[in-house]
Order: sequence, then structure tokens, then C-alpha cells
Amino acid sequence: MNKNILTKITIHLLLLLFVVVWVLPTFGLFVSSFRDKDLLATSGWWTTFKTNEVNEIYRTKTFEDQIEENGKFFIKGNLLDKNSRKKIISYGISSKEMNKYKVNEKAILKNKTQIEISENGEYQWKSEVPFKHKRGKRIFITALSPPKFTLENYKEVLFKEGVGQAFLNTLTVAIPSTIIPLIICSFFAYALSWMKFRGRDTLFALIVASLVVPLQMCLIPLLSIYNDVGALFNIGAKSYPGVWMAHTGFGLASTTFLLRNFIKSLPSEMIEAARVDGATHYDIFLRIIIPLSVPAFASVFILQFLWVWNDLLVGLIFLDQVPSEIILTAKLRELLGSRGENWEILTTGAFVSMTVPLFIFFALQRYFIRGLVAGSVKG
Amino acid sequence: MTTTSFFLYVFLGIVVCFSYFHLSNLALDFFSQKNSNNFLKKSVLRPYIFIAPAVIILVIFILYPVVETLRLSFFNKTGFEFVGIKNYIWAAKDPEFKRAILNNLGWLLVVPTLSAFFGLVIAYLADRLWWGTIAKSIIFMPMAISFVGAGVIWKFVYDYRGPGDDQIGFLNAVVVSLGFEPQAWMTIPIWNNLFLMAIMIWIQTGLAMVIFSAALRGIPKEMIEAARIDGASEFKIFTSIIIPYLEKTILVIWTIITILVLKIFDIILAMTNGQWNTEVLANLMYDWMFRGGGDSGRGSLMAIVIMIGVIPIMIWNIRRHKEDEKS
Amino acid sequence: MQKLFLSKGGKMKFFKIILMVAIANLFALSNAISGNYKGPDLSGEKVVISGPWLAPQDEQFRKVIKAFTDATGATVEYGGSDSFEQQIIIDVKAGSPPNLAIFPQPGLAANVAALGGLTPLGNDMKNWVLKNYAAGQSWVDLGTYPDKNGKKDFFGFFYRVNVKSLVWYSPDNFSDNGYTVPKTMEELISLTEKMASDGNTPWCIGLGSGDATGWPATDWMEDIMLRTHKPAVYDQWVTNEMPFNDKRVIEAMDFFGSFAKNDKYVSGGSKAVATTDFRDSPKGLFSSPPKCMMHRQASFIPAFFPEGVKAGQDYDFFYFPSYSTKDLGNPVLGGGTLFAITKDSKATREFLNYLGHPQSNEIWMAIDGSGFLNPNKLIDLSKHSSDTFRGLNQILLNATTFRFDGSDLMPGAIGAGSFWTGMVDYTSGKSAKEVADKIQASWDAIK
Repeated sequence: MNKNILTKITIHLLLLLFVVVWVLPTFGLFVSSFRDKDLLATSGWWTTFKTNEVNEIYRTKTFEDQIEENGKFFIKGNLLDKNSRKKIISYGISSKEMNKYKVNEKAILKNKTQIEISENGEYQWKSEVPFKHKRGKRIFITALSPPKFTLENYKEVLFKEGVGQAFLNTLTVAIPSTIIPLIICSFFAYALSWMKFRGRDTLFALIVASLVVPLQMCLIPLLSIYNDVGALFNIGAKSYPGVWMAHTGFGLASTTFLLRNFIKSLPSEMIEAARVDGATHYDIFLRIIIPLSVPAFASVFILQFLWVWNDLLVGLIFLDQVPSEIILTAKLRELLGSRGENWEILTTGAFVSMTVPLFIFFALQRYFIRGLVAGSVKG
Repeated sequence: MTTTSFFLYVFLGIVVCFSYFHLSNLALDFFSQKNSNNFLKKSVLRPYIFIAPAVIILVIFILYPVVETLRLSFFNKTGFEFVGIKNYIWAAKDPEFKRAILNNLGWLLVVPTLSAFFGLVIAYLADRLWWGTIAKSIIFMPMAISFVGAGVIWKFVYDYRGPGDDQIGFLNAVVVSLGFEPQAWMTIPIWNNLFLMAIMIWIQTGLAMVIFSAALRGIPKEMIEAARIDGASEFKIFTSIIIPYLEKTILVIWTIITILVLKIFDIILAMTNGQWNTEVLANLMYDWMFRGGGDSGRGSLMAIVIMIGVIPIMIWNIRRHKEDEKS
Repeated sequence: MQKLFLSKGGKMKFFKIILMVAIANLFALSNAISGNYKGPDLSGEKVVISGPWLAPQDEQFRKVIKAFTDATGATVEYGGSDSFEQQIIIDVKAGSPPNLAIFPQPGLAANVAALGGLTPLGNDMKNWVLKNYAAGQSWVDLGTYPDKNGKKDFFGFFYRVNVKSLVWYSPDNFSDNGYTVPKTMEELISLTEKMASDGNTPWCIGLGSGDATGWPATDWMEDIMLRTHKPAVYDQWVTNEMPFNDKRVIEAMDFFGSFAKNDKYVSGGSKAVATTDFRDSPKGLFSSPPKCMMHRQASFIPAFFPEGVKAGQDYDFFYFPSYSTKDLGNPVLGGGTLFAITKDSKATREFLNYLGHPQSNEIWMAIDGSGFLNPNKLIDLSKHSSDTFRGLNQILLNATTFRFDGSDLMPGAIGAGSFWTGMVDYTSGKSAKEVADKIQASWDAIK
């Protein structure tokens, strides 16, 4: 009995370990996408809920802003933003001694002028003689920065960085690229399962073989064909219909394969009975096969949709990389290149690109899994 | 792309496709009613209406490119001049190519094995706990994320800052808190390959898990119960009953992941671009094809090598299906 | 059929010539009356441009584009790609290029010209460059390549060039530590040593750049070559008359290594060099506390400085100095992007004309911190956003001993391939000899 409980606990813990390891990377990304960009670049996402100590540099105003009071000269202002909730703990006036003075402590400079800084960032710089400096004095502060969440990153990414547009572009690519193969392949799969014609077995073997052809090797020869066709009609080779066809082509084998497995498994008596009644294959397909195959269609739809949504290579090669055509993954890759380590843009962009697949995944998980399982175990 | 043109595009694309099938079938019905001679007898012609679009697309998008690539691999870099097997001789001597082959072998060895192993363990554990379904959802989630998205996620995990700076990469933060020096993970030869593979394993374990989970349900409960009554330990049950029972499923999963791994490209491109000895065939191919003026001969050769790697699996796949059809 | 098309093409060509003459006249006129660009009516025409400029340059370039579209009514779409080097080859090979391609390197443009992918710009354009660009002949030479049949022609129009031999620093950090700007290479070396012994980190070096990772190190190499040997040696190196694994090249690489491979001399240690993005590395100058004191990079780098820093106040530059003991003068290394026609059209030609018009230069110059420089003599230097850039542009306009970025002149497979990856290998631990041998081997492989 004791041993049984021990085993149970081990199993719980072991699975928990797996779950934590698997979810941590995505969770870190998710949390980071809501963090302030300055904090994001300097502290780990696991410190999100903590108050962090930050080092920053600010500049005072110049001589133009000085005021004279009782024969003394003052420069006054606030280093921090209005809405900032940071609290200054110490400061310095040279990069060599960043923490020389405690907050509210007077700093006396070489030229006998005095600087005083309070916790909320307000400062006062006092001098006996008029100020002349054209370049503001640098003030190094060390401050406590309370946790801060913001939707700023999403605003920036969706509207300024063009990710919103890319989102729409990806939808334009993905929806027809999912439905067209579904229509074409369901007819194909039906023919392969229930119609008699020459070369049927060879054709099926070809489909199975095509399942494993590396996509990369098809791209260049294809684009040349596109160009010839485009030139014939005097249109550009890169267009949305072109991408739909490409995705149809690359998804054809697996979609057909899955649908055939399903359609073939339907009871043959039903179809034969309909034949005897004089129904054409087209009638049978519309009236019997389609209503019965809805779950299979759902699985295939999800698989193909996710594949298209997440694709990079096809979108990179068959569409122009201009704002009106660029897809999300390509955009993300571009950001990865141009924004080096601007993590606020990267994390948010990545998360935006994941929303649709994750939504579909959680809403329709059952069908997704069924499709995958059908494609492997049953076949 | 405005919202209106988006709907127009989508609508148009789907209508064109569907009307082909509908109109051609109606036309066939119409003519075969009018004209009952043998040639137009509908049952002879109709299969070809059903398969025509798919077959045309298959030929254009898969068959032709394969043949063209094979042809190009015997031509020079511009594709105009026949050079025989010169490209192949070059490849045999090129150290970068050898490196890529070696790395690909490493990937083939590690990723399918570990993904299948973790997938099986998780499926087995999860099916026995009340919160197993939730656990499975979470483990499965990476499957829905693009490789580029996964690249960003893991770049963030592997991020490196110099010693003394605050680490923002999780892995380095752990390493530093344990008192070690932070590492630039992507630049440490051999190990960096393993770190890249971890990403692929992270993604593919979910796939293995759901398939195993379905297969596990097929195991007769009595068999396991009987073993338990005989006093067999959980581990013993796992290794001597469950694994043998799942032999075929393991093989299937292994092939699926192997094919994916052979074509691995996006992760390498996003993470290291083949630097620091992490080159793999598909990335090397992309490099030769398009970088620095491009060499379609050598690029095609790489594609052919990947293709050759896939052929045994292809043949095995076809055989398996032939057997299934018979039974 | 074939014949019909040919004759049609011939006619088109005739019209094109007439049109070009007309445009050239118009253009000359519009230059005479300085001021805003006025183009012909091009409503309904579309120009697709692709190039390597990403944020923030893409937005700045779109501002330049806007003045053109406002004046002509044409539509111009610019798309930037991180993998432009690969993308343009894909597009040209498949025959579906944009109208204009912006090449970051003449070497790559030469590759595309050899594939038959570029359209000659014609004599009017060439003469215009000769007349209106400082050191015009060298810019024409850099834009001239053999086409598919080996015939040389003028294909590339330079727009937005940069000066590379610069070191950026924060004047405040220098004065806090009592450092002065070095005038000679000897002084720079001893300043580096002094900084390290003071406990400061002298350099920020980052080689990361997506698919192009490694290129910043090639600029170091070129600057060092120009400071240790005669320009003739540099030219031989670039054309491989002198092999890459020559002793002199290996020495230059090790000189770079004396900075980049010394953990005390470089921010984050030598491990960080290859993994830090080049766009991020200068940020160390402005952090608190500063992560480094100096950053050697071309004139475009201020575009990647943190938001809000001001030229002259928060940062400044000095010339990457030469040895006082070597009599090599003060050489200037530079680079630049060039426009080439990949699919001809009337609006495309007009857009190139527009790029020669001062307004297209001045719009970009006026954007604070954009680092836009051009050798165009017609531009009004007072339009620059700050004295810093005015000074930089003056260096360019006065240039006599000017050498173009060597890696950009090498064949693409080297200058945009093995040289880049080689430098990454070098900073990651391989020896200079090993790396140089490998680069030379890759050069032999494409001969």
C-alpha cells in the first residue's frame, strides 16, 4: 500500500516536471510581451513581479532654463517621467562614481555648485554665478522600479511594425490554401477509394511517395514555371493565387492520404446500394460522402491550416516581401534580423503570430489529434 | 490588402475551384443523358473528372521539380552547362558538406529517439492521472507554433549576456545562480547541436505523445491487470508489455519524425544559420542555391542527397500500405 | 511569333530612347531650377523596389518615396528583407524580380548582372554621375559590370553611401575618465591599454547580423589592411592577386584579434563578439554604467543608437587613425548601396532620376540621426540634421584616397560568404592561419 502511494506521487511529480519544462519557454515569452521594454532588456522575465533596481542616465536642463532668485542661480526640473513610479535611491554625476550620493544628499561639484535630488526625481542645481553650460549635466541614478505591465508593446507591434497587416495577409494566404486542397483532394480521395480506373494503384503509390519529398527542392523549378505562366498573361509571378496553388500542391499528398484513409473506411454496402439505385458517383459524393466525412474534413482542415499558417519558406519565395504581401512568419524573421535584441518587439510579434494557431488548437484539439492519429496509426 | 479585397480574394478562389467540379459533373450528366454512346458513358469518364485537378497539380508541383532538380545537379552553377558528376566529386571533398551530413546523422539519431521516448513516457503517465488531459494539452501546444516562433522562444531561453551583467536568458540565469559562468550556448561546438535539437524535440514530443496515447488505449486492460496481480512492477509492465505491444506505433512515429528531421531547416536558419559547426543539409542547400550569386548545381545536389536519404523510408511506406490494403 | 515579338521590342526600344532623352532634358532642367522635385505625371504606374533596408531605414526611405509619389502620382512599394542577398537571386533566376533592386554590395550586383538580370542605365545617367558625384569616375567604375555575354556596361547608381573608418564614443565618458581622442594608431593602442587598466572596457564589438553575421569584422580587416599596407596591396588582396592566406592578411587578422579576442578589451568578453548583434553593440556606449568606451563602425550606425541620444551631445566620432610611423596618408574606407534596374519601366527610370535630385537626398539627410551621406555635389549640406553629419559628408566630398569596402568587391561567395563566416570562426576561437586558409580554399573553389 505504501509503495503504491509512493509510485503515485512519483508519477504526479514526473509529469509535473515534464509540463513545467514544456510550458516554461512559452510562458516566459508570454509574460515578457507585457513587460516594459527597458526592464525587458535588463532583467529576466522571472523578476517581473519583483521590484527591480535599475541604473539610468538623465540630463539636466541647460543654462537657458536657469532662474535667478535672491542673487543665486537655479536650474530646476524632474528627471523622471510624469507617470513614472520609480524611486531614486542614489545618484552620481560621473560614470566613475555612479552611486556617490544618497538620495536627498547634496552633491558639491568642482565648480562649487550644488545639486540635490529627491526620491521622485525632482532636482535643483544651485550656483552663485550664472550657469553657462550648453550641454546638460549627466546624472546617473539608481532607482527602484516597481513591476509594470503595459499593452504598449502590442500597440507598437500591431500598428507601427506592420504585424497587423501581415496578420491579414496570412489569413488571405491561409484560408483558400486550406479550402482549395480540401475540395480537390476529397474528390481525388473518393476516386482513389471507390472508383475504378486505370492506374489507380500506381497513383496511390505516387501519393505515398510524395509524402516525403523535401519541399525545398521544388521551389526554384516551380517559380520558373510561375514566371512563364505569369508572362503569358502579363501578370507578376508572385501573387496570392500563386501561393494558394503552391500550398495546394505541397499539401496535396498528405491531405489526400488522410481523406482516403477515412473515405475508404466507410461501409461499402452503403455506396453499392446507392449505385444500384442509379445514383451517379457525383450524387453519392455530395449526398453520402460529404455529410459523413465532416469530422475528417475538420481534422484535415486544421492540419493544413496550421501548416500553412506556420509556413515560412513558401511565403518567402512565392510572395513579394512588401508590406501588402508579407506573411507573419516572414515578418517575424525580418524583425528577428532588424530588431536584433529588441525583445519587446520580438516577443510580442511572436505571440501575435501564435494567437490563431493556439486558438484553433485549444478550440478544436479533438479534431486535430484525430487527424494526426488517423494519418499514422490507421494507415 | 484591405478587408474588402481580402474577402473578394478568398471568395473568388474558392468559387472557381468548386465550380469546376460542379459544372464539369453537370456537363457530364447532361451529355451522357443526351448521348448514350459508349465512349461518353459516364462511369468511364467521371473518375478522370474527379482526379484531373489533383493529378495535374501533383505533376507540376512534385514530379516535375524532382526531375528538374536531378537534371540541375549535373549542370554548372548557372544551370546552362553540363558538367557530369563534377558537383558530386566536389561534394565528396568539401568539408562543410561532410559536416552537414554528420550533423544530419546526429539529428536523425537523437531527435526521433528522444521525441518518441518522451512522448511514450508522458502518454503513459498522463493516461493514469486525473489532470492528464490538461498536461497533454500543454505538452502538445508547441505543435501549433511555427518554427520561426519557436526560434524566437528559444533564442530568448538561450540568450547570453557577459558575466557580471544580469542574464535575461533563462538557461544562463539558472547556470549563474548555480555559481557557474554564463555560456554563449549557440557557439559551443557539438553541444550547440544538442541545444538546437532540444527545440525540435520540444515540438515533436507532442506529436508522439498523442499517437501513443491513442495506441495505448488499444492495449487490453486485462493483460496489464494480470501482470499487476502477478506482482510485476510498473517499470516491468512498461518495458515488457507495453513497449512490445506498441512496436508498430513506435516505428510509425519514428519515420514521421525522421522525415521531418531530414528536412530540418527553419530552426537552423533562425538560430545559427549553420555557424559554429551546426550546418545541416537543407540549410547548406539554401545557402548554395541563393547566397553569393547562387549555384543551382551544388544546391540541387544537396536536395538530391536529402531525397536519397528519404527513399528507403518512402519504399518502406509504400510496402506497408500495400500490406495494409491486402489485410 | 518570335519575330513579331522582336520587332515589337525594337519599336519599344526606339520609344524608350526618345523618352529617355526627354526625361534627361527635363531632369537637367529641374536641376537648373533648384528646389523641389517636379516629375512627369505617372499616375497608374507602379514601381516595386526591394532591398536590404529594414527598420528604421525603411521608414526613412518611405519618406523619400513619398515626395516622389506626391509629385508624379505613381505608386511605389518598397519591401525590405533581411535575406535580400538570397531573395534577389531567387527572384532574378525565376524571372520575377522587382523593378529596382537596392544592392548593399557591388559584388552581388555584378553577380546578378552576370546572370543577365540587370538593365543598363545608359550613357546619360553615366555622364550625369561623372559630372555630379565627387570622385565620379570611381562611382561609375563601381557600378560597371560585365553582363551575361561578358560585355561591360553601367548598371549601378549609388545612393546613400557611408564612411567606415570611424570610431564612435561618448564625450562625457571620455571627460569623466580624462581620456583624449587619439590622433594616431599608436595612441589608439595605448589608449585601449589604459582603459583596460583603469577597469573600463575599451571596445564594443558585435558581429551578429542575421544571415550576414560576420560582416562588421570584415570592415575592421579592411581598415587595418589600409593602415598597414599600401593601397595597391589592398587592391591585390581584394582581387585575390595576393592570396587570402598571405602573411600580411594573417597579420591584419591577428591585429583585429588583439582587440576582439581579448576578454579585457571587449564588452561581454570575446565570447560575446560573434553573438552580439551589430545593431545592439553600440548601445553599450550609452548604458549606465557604460559597457564600453569606443565603437568602430560606419557612418550609418547612429540610426541604431538608443532613442533620444543626440549627435555632438551624447555621442561623437573620431577618424580611425593611421600609424604615425607608416607613411600611408589618411585613407578613407567607405561603402554604399546602389540601385539597379531589374525590370525596366518608365516610372522606374524616373524614380532613378529622382534619386539624383537633391531633394531625395535632403529629405533623408534632414532626419535626425539617420546618417545619410551621399557624394552628390548638388546637395545642400546645411540640410544635415547636425554638425556631426555635415562633417562626415565633407570627408566624403573631399575624399581623394578613397577605397571601397573590400568584401563588397570580392565575389559574393567570398565577400558575402566565406569571409563573413570565417571571421565568425576566428572570433569564436580558430586561428588566423586556419581561417585564412579556409577562405582562400573557398576562393579557389569558385575560380
